[in-house]
Amino acid sequence: MNRLRSTGLALLGPALAVLVALVISALVIALIGENPLRALQVMTDLGDAPSQQVQSVVVILNRAVPLFLAGLAVSIAFRMGLFNIGVEGQYRLATIVAAAVGAAVALPGPLHLLLVIVVGMAVGALWAGIVGVLKVTRGVSEVISSIMLNFIALGLASYLLTGPFRGSPEGASIITTTPLPESAWFPGLNGLLGAFGLAEPRTELFGFLLVAVVVGIAIAVLIQRTRFGFDLRATGISASAATASGVDARRMVVTTMLLSGAVAGLIGLPDLLGDARAFGTEFTAGLGFLGIAVALLGRNNVLGIALAALLFAFLDRAALPLQFADIPASVVTIIQGTIVLAVVIANEIARRLALRSAERAGAEATGAPPDPGGSADPGGPGPGTGPDGGHRVRTGVPGSSEEARA
Amino acid sequence: MAQAPAAGAEQPDGGAPRSPYAVELHGITKRFPGVVANKDIELSVRRGQVHAIVGENGAGKSTLMKTLYGEHRPDEGTILVDGRPVQFRSPADAIAAGIGMVHQHFMLADNFTVLENVVLGSEPRKGGRLDRDAARRRIDEISERYGLGLRPDDLVEDLGVGDRQRVEIAKVLYRNARTLILDEPTAVLVPQEVDELFGNLAELKREGLTVIFISHKLDEVRKVADAITVIRRGTTVGDADPRTTTAKQLAEMMVGAELPTPETRSSTVRQTPVLRLQGVTVASDAGRPLVDAVDLTVREGEVVGIAGVEGNGQAELVEAVMGLRSLAAGSVHLGDEDITGWTTRARREAGIGFIPEDRHRQGMLLDAPLWENRILGHQTRPPAAKGPFIDRKGARGDTERIMRDYDVRAPGPDTLAVALSGGNQQKLIVGREMSAAPRLLIAAHPTRGVDVGAQSVIWELLKDARGEGMGIVLVSADLDELIGLSDTLHVMLRGRLVATVDPRRVTPEELGGHMTGARTAAGAA
Repeated sequence: MNRLRSTGLALLGPALAVLVALVISALVIALIGENPLRALQVMTDLGDAPSQQVQSVVVILNRAVPLFLAGLAVSIAFRMGLFNIGVEGQYRLATIVAAAVGAAVALPGPLHLLLVIVVGMAVGALWAGIVGVLKVTRGVSEVISSIMLNFIALGLASYLLTGPFRGSPEGASIITTTPLPESAWFPGLNGLLGAFGLAEPRTELFGFLLVAVVVGIAIAVLIQRTRFGFDLRATGISASAATASGVDARRMVVTTMLLSGAVAGLIGLPDLLGDARAFGTEFTAGLGFLGIAVALLGRNNVLGIALAALLFAFLDRAALPLQFADIPASVVTIIQGTIVLAVVIANEIARRLALRSAERAGAEATGAPPDPGGSADPGGPGPGTGPDGGHRVRTGVPGSSEEARA
Repeated sequence: MAQAPAAGAEQPDGGAPRSPYAVELHGITKRFPGVVANKDIELSVRRGQVHAIVGENGAGKSTLMKTLYGEHRPDEGTILVDGRPVQFRSPADAIAAGIGMVHQHFMLADNFTVLENVVLGSEPRKGGRLDRDAARRRIDEISERYGLGLRPDDLVEDLGVGDRQRVEIAKVLYRNARTLILDEPTAVLVPQEVDELFGNLAELKREGLTVIFISHKLDEVRKVADAITVIRRGTTVGDADPRTTTAKQLAEMMVGAELPTPETRSSTVRQTPVLRLQGVTVASDAGRPLVDAVDLTVREGEVVGIAGVEGNGQAELVEAVMGLRSLAAGSVHLGDEDITGWTTRARREAGIGFIPEDRHRQGMLLDAPLWENRILGHQTRPPAAKGPFIDRKGARGDTERIMRDYDVRAPGPDTLAVALSGGNQQKLIVGREMSAAPRLLIAAHPTRGVDVGAQSVIWELLKDARGEGMGIVLVSADLDELIGLSDTLHVMLRGRLVATVDPRRVTPEELGGHMTGARTAAGAA
């Protein structure tokens, strides 16, 4: 029952956030003179014919795969109290280098794919590793350095695209790298859909979905079940306690950033290997930032992130139908934005509720109320204050408070 | 002479004859779960006096001052300001009633000027903008009147510690405080600065202001105070007149004259040394030695106590032994091995257990369940780990065992640590560290903030472990605990071990004398 209750509390936050976001968005839609109910109907309408519906689902899944990977990358850093805002730059740089390397070599199928994936992960890890090394050796806040490195990565990617890695002919309106040879195309999963007796959709379902599932499970096991994961989470909950327990905090920072960057290096690959075949000026941007929202909504839990990615993908798909219905597509952006705001607040409320229920449980067992925080001071600083009296900046992410102090 | 009813009568809102007391607290009780807070506090502070409140760390001084400054509300009792009962909901109410607080840790914006810092939060405005001229006039006037010597346009980051403190005092005076609470104001000052501060306090007193001075340094208190109230174990145990009371008598009141309870007499000390420190030196960032050439040996079955006023290097010494601070010089041996360059984890694996001084900061993951807290510090060893994986089942099972054996009262291993009372949290930590059967246990303030029941349980556990041959380093502020448990007792002052006393013969008063430096090392042992 206890387990059930805590799960319920964990779900309460995000569910509340989505609800609040929908209400606010409905108000905004009403304010611009459209009917919120009609907008909702347009968004949830996946099509009439079964083939249309399958097509919509494939579009949602294809979008959800990179979002899931982005959320995962952000959440790894979150779990130990690091805010990796640099996922955007990490995946952009990783994708272009992976695309260029993949186009430059000729290898048999699986090896070729493996090479592209490994290059992507390595570049992402290295780029994120810079952030970790700067933090450990020079004390640079990872928030600042990862934002800065985003700009550098984007600039570097543009330079590489227009310079050494340029594959499209001179004067073409869209500049791309040289397309990948067929041996580096990730097979789609539409055959599988057919096997289930579903209508073949126009778009190919990314085979990378399977890779994402494997990565998701691997990360979940790593963080929840291994000694390394314990050290990581302990550092996130209390860096000082982790250090006293024998965790080398400096090495943890670098390792975590490398891991987060390696996953970030995967974000662009579903699209690259499954559809676009080349990195170009039109390549999907902004996934890194959306990943922060997805990680927040998913509460850093792998399953939660998967659900959050699906929700965001669902909203993204609705952009086009909304335009057909003469409703501004930015409604989607508004909903996503309010979800992020609401989820931060809701997570905090859920956290306090969970704390209170834990305290009640503790009090029932001992007959004495608990001793929360260093000051043991229910009327004073309260939960908004850190054990050292410093005010905590709560991102609503469990375990992110230690580093994020004002 | 020290009583100054005249000064009270001169005050602008005076008129009717008023109480000679600026502040009175009667029967104040503040309960916190499982910890010693305040009980039946009686305190009367005369107007125009420096009134010192002394007591050991953790005796409840800070809780009392938080009550007076409106940071929390007492469960029982009344507060009277100028003879009128008041109820403070927040520090703002206390400030409005003329009570100001100078915190031990300064709360200043470094990149602001003195003027900006002083007016911050109650800025004089002219046409919606900061009226710098008015502010400067006020600050100059305050500085002049109380001899603070402030230059309003200096940047705070350029100021020394003493000046910063004066800015803090000016902040309080700017808000028209008539009673100032100074929380351990000398803790951060060097001796010359202390003298300057006492000069400032004399000025405040001459202007009819009241100062409540919190300290545990007896010589300073006797120098500056007009009246002294002693707090021990959460309650006021009496008042003293600094002119007629000796430091010895004060120390007696502070630590209590009753016989030590945690007694272990039959010696279990064996010959084999477990821990040897040679010339251990730890330097601050500025290069000042915090721990200064400490030599120390702990043998099997021996409890080595380290007494000292907080902040004399005990915390740094503990961190040096645990590998949390690097040494500037010296070596650390565990048994026959030189562990000077080892990581914290390697030291723990080699058999050092650690009960940290601040369990919330270093001992627990408050937002994690108990079984995860069982793993903390033992990540690499069974029953917490199985190869590279965490052994959830093993950890859960062992947590249940600890809860049974060490009387940790909690619903189950999945309870969050934050839900436990301080005593239960500490029992879990002690149980966890004992479970790994360490050769050496570093116990820093093992019973701090723990209720009486848990305290005696922990004392028993330490005694048993000692009997089984464990070496224990015991750092504590509780003199009874030190005298009662230790086989050898060292006194630490300004980073050095200045005296070694025989715990069988020393009295708390003598020990207090060594700790404050009032007694020289010559008469020791």
